[in-house]
Amino acid sequence: MLVLSRKVNENIVIDGRIVVKVVRTEGNFVKLGIEAPPDVPVHRQEIYDEIQRSNQAALTHGKPASARLPSLKVVPKPAAPAGGEGNTTGGSG
Amino acid sequence: MKTVELDEPQRLPVKKENVISLPLGLLGFEQVKKYVLLITPEEEPFLWLQMLDNQSQGFVVINPSAVAPDYAPDIPQADIEFLGIQSPAEALVLNIVTVRNGQATVNLKGPIVINRNTLVGKQCIPTNVAEFALQHPVNSLPVAA
Repeated sequence: MLVLSRKVNENIVIDGRIVVKVVRTEGNFVKLGIEAPPDVPVHRQEIYDEIQRSNQAALTHGKPASARLPSLKVVPKPAAPAGGEGNTTGGSG
Repeated sequence: MKTVELDEPQRLPVKKENVISLPLGLLGFEQVKKYVLLITPEEEPFLWLQMLDNQSQGFVVINPSAVAPDYAPDIPQADIEFLGIQSPAEALVLNIVTVRNGQATVNLKGPIVINRNTLVGKQCIPTNVAEFALQHPVNSLPVAA
């Protein structure tokens, strides 16, 4: 891994088109500004990790019988998922 | 036409038109690039995305409009070009369902976008991903534990 030292307001340029700027540091936090073309996805690592964990939790062994699949005619439970946004669509449909 | 035999009681013929290619796999399953999309009318909007080479494993997926009518993921331009999608009508969007402790949730953060013409797909991260839930609730299972 390439390791570079930068001061606040100094930049790193990647591929001549992506600019990463150190905006501010606060204790353990580093605020970065990223300028990238719209075709370059920029996300926190956590979003990839979240989706990966979700995929792994969703892996199903054997096709579930239809009776075990939830019926959308059942009224949704109001319980919000832990740590989720929890925007239940109450009573729709 | 290729058919795959199952060891399980129900022998499901695999039609070529149901084979979905995910060249990059799913996050965490990067090595699995071929899936079969099985549609059973009485189970819709739930579909079954089965690994082509591992018939016993797969994912329950759903047409997101069934659970989140206003769902509008903003798919990155690079992904649209990768998939060769020319118009929104060419895109089939499926979201992975997790069934856990009798509760089903839908991952709205990582939709699988499939080109209906080429059947090539990719799990995308929408640019407006922050608007969506990782565990969007569906409802309770009729046969909850």
